[in-house]
Amino acid sequence: MKETRLGEFEEVILLLVGILGEEAYAFKIAEEYETQSGRATSIGATHSTLDRMEAKGFLKSEMGNATAERGGRRKRIFTITALGKRVLKESRDFRMSLWSQYPAFADKLNYLGAL
Amino acid sequence: MIPPPLAQRLLQRFLREDLAEDVMGDLEEDFHRTLSRKPPWRARLHYWYQVVHYIRPFALRKSSPRPLTHYAMLQSYFTVGWRNLSKNKMYSSIKIGGFALGIAACMLITLFIRDELRYDTHYPEKDRIYRVYQIFNDNGEILKAVWFQAPFARALKEDFPEVEKAGRYLSSELFGAGNNQLRRVDETDNTYEEGFIYMDQELLDILKLPVVYGHPAHLLDKPGTIVITKSKADKYFPNENPVGKQLVMNNDRDNPFTVGGVIADLPATSHLQFNFAMTMQGREFWPGEQNTWSATNYPTYVLLRPGTDPRAFQKKLGLITDKYLLPMLKQLGRVNAEEMARNFKMDVQPVSDIHLYSAGIQDGLSHSDIRFVWLFGAIAGFILLIACINFINLSTAKSANRAKEVGLRKTVGSHRSNIVYQFLTESLLFSLISFALGMVLAWLLIPYFNQLASKSLVFPWTVWQVYPILIGAIFVVGILSGLYPSFYLSSFKPISVLKGNLARGSKSGSMRSTLVIFQFATSIVLIAATVIIYRQMDYILNKDLGFDKDQVVLIQGVNTLDRQRQTFKEELQQLSYVKSATLADFLPVRGTKRNGNGFFLEGKRNVNKDVSGQFWEVDHDYIRTLGMKIVEGRDFSAKMPTDSGAVIINQAMARELGLKEAVGKRIENYRGWEVIGVVEDFHYESMRGKIEPLAMVISPGRNILSVKVNATDMKSALTGIENVWKKFAPHQPVRYTFLDDQYARMYADVQRMGRIFVTFACLAIVVACLGLFALSAFMIEQRGKEISIRLVLGASMKTIFRLLTVNFLKLVLIALVIAVPIAWFAMQKWLEDFAYRIEITWDVFLWAGVLAVSIAVLTISYQSIRAALARPVDKLRAE
Repeated sequence: MKETRLGEFEEVILLLVGILGEEAYAFKIAEEYETQSGRATSIGATHSTLDRMEAKGFLKSEMGNATAERGGRRKRIFTITALGKRVLKESRDFRMSLWSQYPAFADKLNYLGAL
Repeated sequence: MIPPPLAQRLLQRFLREDLAEDVMGDLEEDFHRTLSRKPPWRARLHYWYQVVHYIRPFALRKSSPRPLTHYAMLQSYFTVGWRNLSKNKMYSSIKIGGFALGIAACMLITLFIRDELRYDTHYPEKDRIYRVYQIFNDNGEILKAVWFQAPFARALKEDFPEVEKAGRYLSSELFGAGNNQLRRVDETDNTYEEGFIYMDQELLDILKLPVVYGHPAHLLDKPGTIVITKSKADKYFPNENPVGKQLVMNNDRDNPFTVGGVIADLPATSHLQFNFAMTMQGREFWPGEQNTWSATNYPTYVLLRPGTDPRAFQKKLGLITDKYLLPMLKQLGRVNAEEMARNFKMDVQPVSDIHLYSAGIQDGLSHSDIRFVWLFGAIAGFILLIACINFINLSTAKSANRAKEVGLRKTVGSHRSNIVYQFLTESLLFSLISFALGMVLAWLLIPYFNQLASKSLVFPWTVWQVYPILIGAIFVVGILSGLYPSFYLSSFKPISVLKGNLARGSKSGSMRSTLVIFQFATSIVLIAATVIIYRQMDYILNKDLGFDKDQVVLIQGVNTLDRQRQTFKEELQQLSYVKSATLADFLPVRGTKRNGNGFFLEGKRNVNKDVSGQFWEVDHDYIRTLGMKIVEGRDFSAKMPTDSGAVIINQAMARELGLKEAVGKRIENYRGWEVIGVVEDFHYESMRGKIEPLAMVISPGRNILSVKVNATDMKSALTGIENVWKKFAPHQPVRYTFLDDQYARMYADVQRMGRIFVTFACLAIVVACLGLFALSAFMIEQRGKEISIRLVLGASMKTIFRLLTVNFLKLVLIALVIAVPIAWFAMQKWLEDFAYRIEITWDVFLWAGVLAVSIAVLTISYQSIRAALARPVDKLRAE
């Protein structure tokens, strides 16, 4: 599990890639991150994380279509790989298991889980 | 509205190529999004922010492809460098030779400076040892001196808790320090010894000089003891412990000295030099001398307690003035006692500063000056710079020959950085060889340099710190001098050099010219400085001194003749080639007796301020023998018995005392004297200072007999003198010097400086010329075809010669214009040290210019003439 562990930022970015689907390219992801989390980030920082996760095999990328407002340049669309999905799931399971062991929250969590 | 182009260009510059498209796209999209919400300037700023945030390792373009085999490449660089070096033997040897010469000069100067800075750093407690000196403001003229009253040291210790120890020495010949005849108590023959000094045990406690024999705390603590150095101990008491043994000085059998201890020979880097230290214990040179506050003879040193702030201590020293000096002055009845005390201050100087920071402080010692250290450092730097410039010049000039190589390397895939590395490696190779050569050269030259600078330097092979410094220097010099050539060479575009389009060596011509100008400007400054130093030397040595220093023999040690001195003198005067002779220990050269006194018009002691001046004891023949000029009144006369109360003063004394017609007036110091004559001012101290007031009275000296010789044949005169001496003192060899030699010795430091300056100026010029020689050779080689065509078309040798020389001469002339003001300013500063000095005239610069131009012409003309004489066909055939 160690070599596939996700950092918090990585996990969020990976999820955003999944959420954005066809529109998952660096600028959109960074923008989405800012709106969803309310925290600022730069495209460079986001891209750096994407690049790292691509190197680890969680993501793959290919060039997409171009638009006018990009000066006719193509986008680099990221998609989650099977490994990426598994890592995300493992990460969630790991946390769930921890949450469930926490007595103060155990009930609510079960309740939420039922929803 | 578009994103800021500069930011875009920056992004393109560093961004990995495969990322360029999508990142640029993302950022542009982001820019437009921001633009829709914020003012344009914010959007632009935001774009910049995003660009800067892309400077991350993952996004950066991989710089030059790293060679996989560093070692092999390096080896190849060295091989190519070596081949290139051996292919162009002349250029290489000039490059390396000039460099090595510069480095050797630099090393020698560095050793010299290191030695200067090491002075007085060998005392274990050097950080707490200070020398006290006084500052007296005499109507705006600041006088600094180190001599204090006998009880001063004791007072310091009693009145200041900060002072742990205070010790004095006394080196005045007036009291028997300096030179003496010495022998063991059980022997009869005297030996003449130099370097006697009086000293307190406490000064030895402060300095903690290494002790060979005896107890360090009891070296001089008993009356009649003496401390001798190891080499003197070996001389008088070979293979035995001298402690407790006795020595007799000047045949005074009744008061022998007991050796209290032996100290190691003083290192050359000690400001204080002596061979024999006599104790001050139980000594008094006149009744009450040790307690008087009115005579200053003792340089005084203090050891401050740990943690004492010397500045704070100095501020408290005024206490001495209030407690001792002011009462003394009042007791003497001085009217201006309060004012004098106000103008009197004291300060302390760290012992390790004495050698280099004592300018303006009178202490009777000869030392160096921090300014010389800076000066020599600057010269060393300049010589190295000139050598580096040669290297740069020759490398870029020869670049045309390497251009094809660069072109080819680039074509087969060499990155620019590879080529930069290659040339830097080559320059390092040159630097390494030059340093090795320079080191050997410096090592070989050290004996000569020692002679030149009166030093005893050794090459510090055994000091390990030298090696890292050397290696560092090899890299710094190698890289600095290789930087410009390597960037220049690596900038060639393969296509144009391979097509042969590069204007051969003409590019960067302006850079080369600038460097040549710099080299020659430096050389001209050095030449001008040398000329001025020599002129000032010449001026000092040949100035009308007010006395005649030539053909005067000083016979020293006549005190051994005792009462027969007068007879000896009379007998010498019988000799046909002896003009006259005089018995006097006060002579107008340094190293003879001096006696400072305060003078007044008689009866005005309590009204006027004293005039400080010298009080000399001479005999009837003094003025005649030394050729001084009487401008008023008459000389002493043996026929006038009243002359025992007569005084002859110099013009300065008459002026300072305000005597218009001095003859017949009376002046007083400790008693009254009648002025019978006034001599023209003569120089009796260094020309660095003004001629001070002086008074002479009759009282024959004991030690030195000065003989004015008539003969042109000095040798036979000396034999004659020696024969007479043998009659009087058969057991003791005669010892003599010449007045003009003694006089020249006063300026030995200036002369030494002049010699060092000349040597290094020559070196700088040689190095600069080497560069010019190679450069001109190269330029002419490049223009070979042009010259040949001109020759074929009928150009005369003269026109060719002119064509080739004029360009270089122009540079030398520009250098001259730059150098003149610099040299003028610097030398004006130097001359300000001398109260009597030459004026800097324009012809100095004329000479310096003519010299520089002719050296340059000579250097260039060899090549020019060769080119003009060459057969045109040889050059043109190849086409």
